[in-house]
Amino acid sequence: MKPTREESNGIGWALVTPAVGVLLLMTIFPALYLLWASFRRFNLMMPENAAFIGLENYRNIVTNADIRHSMLVTILFVVAAVGIELVLGLLLALMLAPKSRSNAAAATLLILPMAVTPVVSALVWRELFNPNYGWVNYYLRKIGIMGEPIAWLSSPQTAWFTVISLDVWQWTPFVALILMAGLQGIPPEPREAAAVDGAEGWRLFWDVTFPLLRPFVAIAVLLRTLEAFKTFGTIRVLTGGGPGISTEIINLTIYRTALQDFSVGAGASLGIAFLVFLSILVPQMLRVLARDSDLVEA
Amino acid sequence: MRHTPGQRILTALSQVALWIWVLLAMVPLVWMVTTSIKPEGYAQTIPPTWQFQPTLQHYVDVLEGAAVTPFGPLLLHSLVVAVGSTALALVLGLFAAYALARLRFKGKRFLAMWILSTIMFPPVVAVIPIFIMAGRLQLIDRYLTLIVPYAAFNLPLVIWVLRSSIRQIPEEIEDAALVDGASRMEIITRIVLPLAAPGIATAGILSMLLAWNEFLFALTLTRSQVKTAPVGISEFTGMFGTQWGSLSAAATIIVAPVVIMALMLRRHLIEGLTLGAVK
Amino acid sequence: MKNASSGNSSRTGLHLQGMTRRSLVKSAAAAGFTLPVLGKSAVFAAPRRTVRQQDAEKPASLNMLYATVEADVEAIKLAIPDFKAETGIEIVLDSQPYDALQQKVFAELAVDSPYYDVIIVDTPWTPALTGKLEPLSEYLTNEALNDVSDPALDDFIEKVFFDTAVYNPTSPNLQFPDPSAVDVEAITGEGFEIYGLPLQANALVAMYRTDLFENAEGMAAFESEYGRALAFPETWDEFTEVAKFFTRPDENLYGTTLMAGNGDWATDDFKTLLAAWGGDGYMVSDDFTLAFNSPEGVEALTYYADLINEHKVTPPGVTSFSWDDASAAFTSGLTAIGMNYHTEVLAPDVQGNISYALVPEKVTRGPHFGTWMLSVNKASQNKEWAYRAANWFTNGPTQTKMLAAQLHPSRKSAYKAAKTDENATKFGNFYDILGQSLALGVGRPRLTNYGAVDKEIWVAVNSAATGSMTPEEALQSAADKVLALLQEAGYPVS
Repeated sequence: MKPTREESNGIGWALVTPAVGVLLLMTIFPALYLLWASFRRFNLMMPENAAFIGLENYRNIVTNADIRHSMLVTILFVVAAVGIELVLGLLLALMLAPKSRSNAAAATLLILPMAVTPVVSALVWRELFNPNYGWVNYYLRKIGIMGEPIAWLSSPQTAWFTVISLDVWQWTPFVALILMAGLQGIPPEPREAAAVDGAEGWRLFWDVTFPLLRPFVAIAVLLRTLEAFKTFGTIRVLTGGGPGISTEIINLTIYRTALQDFSVGAGASLGIAFLVFLSILVPQMLRVLARDSDLVEA
Repeated sequence: MRHTPGQRILTALSQVALWIWVLLAMVPLVWMVTTSIKPEGYAQTIPPTWQFQPTLQHYVDVLEGAAVTPFGPLLLHSLVVAVGSTALALVLGLFAAYALARLRFKGKRFLAMWILSTIMFPPVVAVIPIFIMAGRLQLIDRYLTLIVPYAAFNLPLVIWVLRSSIRQIPEEIEDAALVDGASRMEIITRIVLPLAAPGIATAGILSMLLAWNEFLFALTLTRSQVKTAPVGISEFTGMFGTQWGSLSAAATIIVAPVVIMALMLRRHLIEGLTLGAVK
Repeated sequence: MKNASSGNSSRTGLHLQGMTRRSLVKSAAAAGFTLPVLGKSAVFAAPRRTVRQQDAEKPASLNMLYATVEADVEAIKLAIPDFKAETGIEIVLDSQPYDALQQKVFAELAVDSPYYDVIIVDTPWTPALTGKLEPLSEYLTNEALNDVSDPALDDFIEKVFFDTAVYNPTSPNLQFPDPSAVDVEAITGEGFEIYGLPLQANALVAMYRTDLFENAEGMAAFESEYGRALAFPETWDEFTEVAKFFTRPDENLYGTTLMAGNGDWATDDFKTLLAAWGGDGYMVSDDFTLAFNSPEGVEALTYYADLINEHKVTPPGVTSFSWDDASAAFTSGLTAIGMNYHTEVLAPDVQGNISYALVPEKVTRGPHFGTWMLSVNKASQNKEWAYRAANWFTNGPTQTKMLAAQLHPSRKSAYKAAKTDENATKFGNFYDILGQSLALGVGRPRLTNYGAVDKEIWVAVNSAATGSMTPEEALQSAADKVLALLQEAGYPVS
């Protein structure tokens, strides 16, 4: 038996402990604190009056239509943004996969949007989509695609379009580059064999290439989904949740409640509810991922 | 393989589509850079101004603090926080990744799953208790107060990338060293560290990117001693209007180093992200 | 956790943790309480008054927390060297943009951090902060502490002073009953206190392009259409006509800006109209009855939404405008009229001139106003010098000097000076109009959770402005939510 295959509980735990310690400090401890606060009427300015109020904060979450709305739109935002990024990313990856100088240059340029500070990208987006001096309206009208100028952030539909387009601009390259690397790593033999058997075009891709690409798709989707659930600064700068509350994702509600109104108890209960939701969803996604890759296998 | 005319047209079309996307994706960056060199007052004109006397005045304003606060110290703070948190994440991550890649111990599978699942913790939720505790413990406006949370955010991804790259190192090399009486620590620092360098580069740049760009924690947990550049940027917009020239100059200054680093390490970056997918 | 109460350490002397002996002695001397634990140092034990008059040790520097833009940090920067010359004390200034500032102020005060000595406070925060800010009545009446500067309270614009600084410590929701003259004894006699000294006073003012209003062709056309001379409108009814007159989308010109986007600015637009229509501009009265969903409120919001959707006198995208978008729209020449809280300078490619005016009236006028004040952190270890600084930075001569950085003063003497000071006169009649607007201004309700109430109202305003709800529906929906919020905050609502 190889030495590395031995049971090595002591060394193993010793090596992971520092990392686990930091993670505990930054995840479990905050979660416990939030849990404690979530049962209280806890206002930051009056921490000494943190009265225990049982499930009151949670009852408020369940009965408050605005909170239900923001949870729903959060999910819709994530599904829409990640879905679009996956489809467009896959298309881009197929275009990028053949190795050529032109493609290498394109792949390099595609990295740039990812490097832009999210707060900056949202401010730039706001200006590009500004109905009066924005480049989007001006040039779309100039080339005749658009008639009346569109006030992008003034109706829920166009505001959502603007918000999602920002996410798609910034993160589709991320999906595309992972899938591109995946496509480039697929050995040509299965494809050639299938081609000899008469498979063509779409079927060739769907039956042969895509299954081999699946682990890459899984990783891209997992990472993007998790990040999309964390979206905060961009939407805050871009729409502030508006018009009305149509783009108020849950992170905006949590931030406002806990860090602007300083109702820490109410904010904490929202945070816990969100965490519970994520901790039901994420292990499911990890399980799918584990089927496809060695990511979480022992 | 033979190429039919149809295939050739398809290839040409896909090249056109690809480059349309790439060029459109550059538009926001073009807006940012051109606005940063337009004279004051030309950021918002109808139609957009393209003929102007380029000026570097905004850059001077931003760096000298004529606009709001001097940007130099903020960039320095950002650098310290980014480098510090990345170093911390890499050191802790390397040990943990090695254990998860090579050793067998009780609870490992659960641990691997748990570590990865901590990625999901939304910063907006995490910042609430950290903000309150840091305030109580008088830890606001210290480098460590940003470095530790940033390292924690990055650890799952760092561990994941490093673990994959360690697993690609042939085990025989380590076995030989073990037989020669090397300790685990020596194996990690002398053998694994150099061989996992590409993975470390990838993990490092991903960590740097997050720490360099992070806004919410930096906004909440700093005063002026460690205030970072992204927070400084938000000071260019306010009730009395937005200084677009200075804002885009500052934005360009922040984005430039990340872009340069990303371009230099492009290959590692893409490979690193996909390592986990390679069985 | 221990340090949570360290702000009280100067009172009780029990929490020695985290404080040097020297600073402890210093703060003990300042507060004048006995400290038996220090044994021989108990010589400091003396009645409160006498110690107060004895000078507290002068610090080498004071930390000041300030607002980057909204309270005009450039103005304070102008005055800092003078303060050093006068007192030898360095002011270490830290400025933050609005959201960060609010977070910082609340966070610092919540944990009784002594770090900042002087803090800038915005009106909507004060009800939640009264327990954490040092009451200043005893300082203001103590001769010894007014050696650097005379507080000259009667020089403050009364309305501004009472709205900003005067609160009832036990019921911070109450407005002072008689805000006609600033008198410390009258204030304390009614059980109220003074929690800071007003500095930057913002009020909604209107501005218009005189080049357009005085254009001969335009004047003739207006007169023939409406049968009266073209002038900046006195009433909101005239306002609609004038705004319609200037709305020429083909020329990329619109009547007016509004600030209908999601944010405090939309609430402030609405409460200005609510007050003008004869409603209670405070929106929630002292006894917690809702006053914004009244018939006046519905009419005012209907008028507002009609400007956007019916008369279409606003530029595209106005329903996502914040104050800086509104400012950009006016300065880039997109509108003939603007309404905002500060002076404007037209973009270089716009040829034109600006004049300022009071926001129009319906049955009365009540432009929204809100003022920043300098307050002393209760947990500061240099409270007496912090007070001297707050007093000095808000005094008449300093405020007048700060006009060079476009401070919006809170003192009558500064407005008098602004009539001839070329730093002020280069903005035409702005300071005259600002002074008048402040005298007419209507403030905000004093609620500890005003932020949450504010949000429900701006959502209603925005929903009505985008047409997704009728004004009645929007206000009713906001009323239900605000009622719940008041209940949550523990206010007695019926």
